[in-house]
Amino acid sequence: MEKIINTLQRSLPKWWQTIKISWSNYTAYRLNFFLQIIGPALVFFFVKYNLWTSVYNGDPELVIKGYNLDQMITYHIWSMVVGLLAQGMSALNLAEDIRMGRISSYLIYPMNFWEYHTAGFIAFETLQTFISILTIIVISLFGLLPGLTLSALFYGFTYCIYVSLFWFVLQYLTGIIGFWLEETWILRVILSILTAFLSGAIIPLELYPEWLVNLLNYTPFPYLTYYPIKIFMGEIGFFTKGYMILGFWMVVLLIVNKIIWKKGIRMYTAAGM
Amino acid sequence: MSSIKHYLSVYKKFIETSFSVQLSFRTSFALLIFMDLFFYISTLATVDFIYDHVAVIGPWEKNKLMFFISFMLCVDHLHMTLLSESFWVLSRQIRTGELDFILLKPVHSIFTIFFRYIRPSSLTNTIAAWGFLIYFGSKVPLTTTAWLILPILLIMAFILLAIIEIIISTAMFWLTEGLGINFLRMQIQSLARWPDYIYKVLARRLFTVLMPILLIGSAPVRFMLDLKSWDYIAGMIAAIFVFGFLMFKIWSRALIRYESASS
Repeated sequence: MEKIINTLQRSLPKWWQTIKISWSNYTAYRLNFFLQIIGPALVFFFVKYNLWTSVYNGDPELVIKGYNLDQMITYHIWSMVVGLLAQGMSALNLAEDIRMGRISSYLIYPMNFWEYHTAGFIAFETLQTFISILTIIVISLFGLLPGLTLSALFYGFTYCIYVSLFWFVLQYLTGIIGFWLEETWILRVILSILTAFLSGAIIPLELYPEWLVNLLNYTPFPYLTYYPIKIFMGEIGFFTKGYMILGFWMVVLLIVNKIIWKKGIRMYTAAGM
Repeated sequence: MSSIKHYLSVYKKFIETSFSVQLSFRTSFALLIFMDLFFYISTLATVDFIYDHVAVIGPWEKNKLMFFISFMLCVDHLHMTLLSESFWVLSRQIRTGELDFILLKPVHSIFTIFFRYIRPSSLTNTIAAWGFLIYFGSKVPLTTTAWLILPILLIMAFILLAIIEIIISTAMFWLTEGLGINFLRMQIQSLARWPDYIYKVLARRLFTVLMPILLIGSAPVRFMLDLKSWDYIAGMIAAIFVFGFLMFKIWSRALIRYESASS
């Protein structure tokens, strides 16, 4: 026990300092951060709001697969919040670090490569949590989030942070593939296209063909956006199934990450790949 | 005439070098093809799923909107093949001062900056992009005249998109970190991917007159669907000339602002 406390006492200050540095990096160019992280979420919501208003054509009686216009807009507001909270971008520079030979400097850091980027992820997630809380407060003031409860918020936030951890582990994998691949951004774009389409971020899964929904339930996709939205909407409480399924995929990804890192570091030349 | 010949010979070299660079990274080459295909299929499938539950969106039934989406995918395909990469390179060139060497070259800087990198992998998706366009065009169905003017309108749409994006990208000269501008550019694209009628009056006016991104797809498609809709196409041609002129003016101001590395 004493050993663990000593290790924690030694580790915590360096983690705290790294998180602070990462926070400063994210907030140094505020306009850039806004355009890169917050802007896309807002525009995505703006397009979906206009699209669905046009689909419903101002008919308050029209119900599509259980959603009237107000419920559909609420769904997409929560989709925006989930996007902000759960889909971080902190692993962006991993591949560049590898290709440019910059990971050599991590060898003399008091933290290893994985810990350094995890600290960056924590900083990013903290920032995103503040932005999400602010977004929810502003939207609530306009009365656009009916039936919002504290328990739904609590379950939603905790589950989304769990999802963001999964997303980080997945992004980490696409980053360290940079040992072999020249341009890993393509993998990230493929992932975001697939996730936007298959997770229910564009349209609720109820509108998908039944065979596709049945198939998707075996993949992590619906657990990244659709179910978190349902938690925020108060339709699901503590989502044990989601925690277990994403947990399983996270363990798989962590093992793959470890293997890829071991293989990759062996062929790393420190002079850029 | 000799000037055009000179530019064409330079462009030929750009194509050759882009091919040899991209073919040396074969996995990236293949992944780029998949990336574009995933994007095309997911975009079309999204609209298809919505139409499983409604008969019309705004004034258009399914085939018309699918034709619009296919048209925008073709514009996106041209953009991905001929322009896209150059915007990402520009933010780095400004930050590191690499732009100095480009500005010294005896060709127009807009040409060397924005037409330098071509993505041959995206070129391989021509069949898919045009396949969707022809399929949904025949479902609408288009008239013979509409089919004949389709390639011209597609090029005009691409030119208007390129002009607007170049204007937006000049903001990089005023910012220390220009990467965010590329994300702004991508958001502009996503707004333009839907027909003008889905937007409310204010947004529609803003994105048709002040920043005419909605003319990129809505003007040519509306004209092809109804050849009497001359007002749309006239607006698009006017936008190309006005914003083309503005682009050259703003570009000159941006170059004056440029202070080499760390500017």
